[in-house]
Amino acid sequence: MTGLPLADADGGGRYPGFSALAQAPHWDPVTAAVVQGRMALPPDVRFFTPAEEAAARALFDQLLDQHAEPRVPVVNMVDARLAEDETDGWHYDNMPRDGAAWRASLGALDREAQSREGCTFALLPLDGQARLLQDICDRGQDLWHGLPADRVWGLWTRYACTAFYSHPLAWDEIGFAGPAYPRGYKNLGVDRLEPFEVRDVRPEADPTRRADR
Amino acid sequence: MSGLRERNESAWLLPAGPGTNSKLRDRMRRYADDDEVDVVIVGCGAGGATLLQRLARAGWRAVGLDEGPFWDPEQDWVSDEAGSHHLYWTEPRVIGGSDPVPLGSNNSGRGVGGSMVHFAGYTPRFHPSDFRTFSWDGVGADWPLEYGELRPFYEDIEAELPVSGERWPWGDPHGYPHRPHPVSGNGEIFLRGANACGITAKVGPVAIANGRFGNRPHCIYRGFCLQGCKVNAKASPLITHVPDALAHGAEIRPDSMATRIGFDERTGLATGVEYVHDGINRFQRARIVAVAGYSIETPRLLLNSTSPRFPEGMCNDFDQVGRYLMVQGAPQTAGRFQAEVRMWKAPPPEVSTEDFYETDPAKPYKRGFSIQCVSPLPITWAEHVAAQGHWGAALRRYMSDYPHWACLGALCEFLPLRENRVTLAEETDRHGIPVARFSYSQCDNDRQLMSAAQQVMERILTAAGAQEVITINRYAHLVGGARMAAGEQDGVVDRNLRSFAVPNLLVTDGSVLPTQGSANPALTIMALAARAAGVLVQGARRGTPMSMKED
Repeated sequence: MTGLPLADADGGGRYPGFSALAQAPHWDPVTAAVVQGRMALPPDVRFFTPAEEAAARALFDQLLDQHAEPRVPVVNMVDARLAEDETDGWHYDNMPRDGAAWRASLGALDREAQSREGCTFALLPLDGQARLLQDICDRGQDLWHGLPADRVWGLWTRYACTAFYSHPLAWDEIGFAGPAYPRGYKNLGVDRLEPFEVRDVRPEADPTRRADR
Repeated sequence: MSGLRERNESAWLLPAGPGTNSKLRDRMRRYADDDEVDVVIVGCGAGGATLLQRLARAGWRAVGLDEGPFWDPEQDWVSDEAGSHHLYWTEPRVIGGSDPVPLGSNNSGRGVGGSMVHFAGYTPRFHPSDFRTFSWDGVGADWPLEYGELRPFYEDIEAELPVSGERWPWGDPHGYPHRPHPVSGNGEIFLRGANACGITAKVGPVAIANGRFGNRPHCIYRGFCLQGCKVNAKASPLITHVPDALAHGAEIRPDSMATRIGFDERTGLATGVEYVHDGINRFQRARIVAVAGYSIETPRLLLNSTSPRFPEGMCNDFDQVGRYLMVQGAPQTAGRFQAEVRMWKAPPPEVSTEDFYETDPAKPYKRGFSIQCVSPLPITWAEHVAAQGHWGAALRRYMSDYPHWACLGALCEFLPLRENRVTLAEETDRHGIPVARFSYSQCDNDRQLMSAAQQVMERILTAAGAQEVITINRYAHLVGGARMAAGEQDGVVDRNLRSFAVPNLLVTDGSVLPTQGSANPALTIMALAARAAGVLVQGARRGTPMSMKED
């Protein structure tokens, strides 16, 4: 698999030639198995119903801006966690447990899309999906289809970030070399890199200076 | 050092280099359930494992139960963020209140070693003022214990972990047994910023040996302290106290979920612990029971241990069990630098300041906060960025900038409030036992501290040259829930951690803390457990009957 597609304007290409997976010979076998396993064919969807899967795919593509192959298979990774009940255990007293919260919130996404445009969320055009999601993000603590909007947003982004940024291809675009055992680091300090790290070629690409969101 | 090895040989019982002493575990002494052991301890974390080691050393027949595994760091832990989910307590729990506190990751633990397996490694002492916040500041509670009574135990535990750091100028000034570690980009930024705005910052105090310690290797600065130290450089009871406990005849029973404390109505004493192992209900008889399941599970176990004598839960005569539970407000402020900081390199615990720890009469709030380096790995950092409302292309763009960010975290001393508590929920776990419901609401003082801490962190980062700062509000640590007090109407246990209601039942974990300061609690929990063990052992030597209070 080659790198994930990411336009330069969106932060792509800042660490040319950098590959976390190329460091795998320096990882301990237990860690290497866990990380390299994420490159394997992902498990089939078992938890989500087909309708939920469709909504979840569209949701994760939006949240992580994945609109072309290759993709981190976020929907399969989240589905696997829910099928295994690999949650953090806790739930808010005004939200169901994670599995039920996922079903309820994906159903609500489709109902919201139906009421706006008469189709499911997955069938909305991309900009329509994005507008709908931004509306939910902006609702704060208000109820949205009977669920507190901020808790729904937190649930979605938490699972999305955990899956996407556990993937070695996602590490390549952020300059993170992944596991560091047993090698460790020898060159600590500001602007001091290890021989295997790649310096950012666009250090002026400060995301906080962009005013588009 | 010879004195140290004579009282705790753990570091010399481990193999040279990473790994575990499997012989010690294979040859571990094993007791039968119907042996009446001297003590059964629920939970083998900071409090439980320290007590186990001390009592085993004194010749007590001691058994430790833990719900989770008996870890082998080489095989069971990975140098990977998402792959470390199994280090957390992920059984169901319900959270509520006006400021609900998410659980299950940084503030929970399971398995032998407890949450210290994945704690960052900061081990500051509490300040003398923490023991007297009510008398001195009119908030919180006074401990039934003075700082000076805990000091020798702080010193002992600091030597046993061991702790590295500069000479500490705050609280009761003191030094550390190991020299401070070199700092990474993140620590360098903190020191530079603090220096520029006249704030004293020091390297440490960190429970990572600087140099070899016994057979434990030197830290390799790989930055995955929060995923469990595969190197055996960072301290957790799994390597600092458990080996010595086993060598002195203690038994540890992993994968054993305690469900109820046995109680004899006739004698008024605890009789042992009911637990589930491999799906089978068992009961370990014991002369003394110590509960060390931490601030959520300890109250839950007590509340679930009902009997005719204790219809509302064991030791709950005055509705104190589960109350005054505290978290620390832990806002994290990150700053963006043109240079590459690469904050994930090297252990996240590096530099701290306690300049803002004490009550400042010029401020409208009481008590204070500390500031420390934190160095989020990619998933945690992504949550930080997502919490700013960024998603989609903006999230990916922000994340691509990861090497340019430095991050500080504060620990704000939230006050102990009566209504912040654990109760039992309707929901049950897979054993059919009601789960904990944890309700949390902040008071005005709490909110003022959060905002003051954020301002100081922004000031430090800006002074270090940050072009932009962002802050996320979060929480860290749990303490309280079965607090110690001078009398039975105000708490659950006395100064020796013995429950007021049942003379042979102790609570030896973070739930006994009446206040929390702005310090990470691990060291204080271990010191309290070591002190309680000393009292127990002295009492036994004097032949004091268990029904008599020793003091």
